[in-house]
Amino acid sequence: MTASKGKETLSDFQRNFLNIFVVLGSGLLCLLLSPMRFPGIELLNVAPNWLLIWVVIWSIHHPIIDAAIAGTVLGLLQDGLTGPFPTHALSLMLVGMLTARLQRQRIIQENVVLVAFIVFGMAVVAATIIALQMTFQHVLWPNSPYLSLWQIWRTHQRVALSSAILSSLWTPALYYPLHRWWKS
Amino acid sequence: MFALRRWWDRYAVRAGVATLAIVLAWAMRQSQGAFIYEIYQVLTAPLQPGLSQAERLENAYILELQQRVIELENQNQSLRTNIDYADSQGKVTVAAVIGRSADNWWQQITVNKGHLDGVTVGDMATGPGGLVGRVVSASPNTSKVLLTTDPTSQMGVKVSRSRALGVVRGNVDGRVVMQFFETTPDVKPGDVIVTSSYSRLFPQGIPVGRIESMDLKKSPAPEAVIQLSSPLNILEWVTIHPFEAKTDVNAPPAEIIDSNESTP
Repeated sequence: MTASKGKETLSDFQRNFLNIFVVLGSGLLCLLLSPMRFPGIELLNVAPNWLLIWVVIWSIHHPIIDAAIAGTVLGLLQDGLTGPFPTHALSLMLVGMLTARLQRQRIIQENVVLVAFIVFGMAVVAATIIALQMTFQHVLWPNSPYLSLWQIWRTHQRVALSSAILSSLWTPALYYPLHRWWKS
Repeated sequence: MFALRRWWDRYAVRAGVATLAIVLAWAMRQSQGAFIYEIYQVLTAPLQPGLSQAERLENAYILELQQRVIELENQNQSLRTNIDYADSQGKVTVAAVIGRSADNWWQQITVNKGHLDGVTVGDMATGPGGLVGRVVSASPNTSKVLLTTDPTSQMGVKVSRSRALGVVRGNVDGRVVMQFFETTPDVKPGDVIVTSSYSRLFPQGIPVGRIESMDLKKSPAPEAVIQLSSPLNILEWVTIHPFEAKTDVNAPPAEIIDSNESTP
């Protein structure tokens, strides 16, 4: 009895340790993939949003608070990789919360196609939040770096659509391993 | 005797041929059938396999080596031009482009030289063709270059032919627009744009690009679309030039005054 209990706690410990390793490792992988442009990955000079895919998959398996925290953390890291404004923390946090909420209403049910659709929608949401930040800065601050609203929203169209298509196509590559791990 | 004579008359030719055959056969035996083998070799030549497998592998290997030599020669040539260019520019760092912007809104590149190699924030990056951008952050072994096409990148420029001054601003969609200071600037499509002496972030006289099209009626200032001379999308190498910005543009005004007072 005691022996089996001891064995179980040990495996729990190992499991937790492995889980931390998987979470950090996959997050780091997505961060490292972000600046990479290997051949065939770009569509209209736009690359898939790896961190967004990660946040969506995480949010499907975790409660809404965890989703918001993960989104914020990864968004801040992406800010570090690019620049401080417009911030990705806000967009990824909202993406995480929306996805976790959809999951609570049991709309997604272990279907990779549905997850890909969620990623598609969330990529559009994320691009829209970035473009909204740019718009607010352009409207509210006198010396904004952006030339016109028209250009921001035309770029938004291109970025949102291309990154949504690419991200949803790459979703299974991240979804299968992570889903298997978090499911078991 | 007569009988022998008659035999000879009848069989001379046969005997001669037989002797010849025997001698030849003997000679052949002494030479271990070389002649026959030679004929055999000639006759069976079409049936023999062409090159042996080892020879084929060797040929393929030689071919691979030749191709490697060609590739190395090409690399050597391009590196040599880089070094010559670097030598002609004084103390500069040649760096390889290892990454692009980590999202789809910024126009940045990551290069493989950092402050361990003497790259500091504010340095200027050029590539084949002209200006590429400005170093905005440097880690020990990498640095991030803000491209001239980024919306947050602005620089003072002039038209090389007529000295008309203006500001070049990047755009969200990756194009570059020049806004003129004058209301009626002397420009025409094809004019060369270089950085001006009023630019605080870049040394003057660095080629930027050419004027592609103009909208002189635009308010508040006439605008022109610039075609950059450096192919930013396919950059593989950049050259980083040390440059000290004239004033720290990121500092609030009080700090600039302070630093001026402290260094009279």
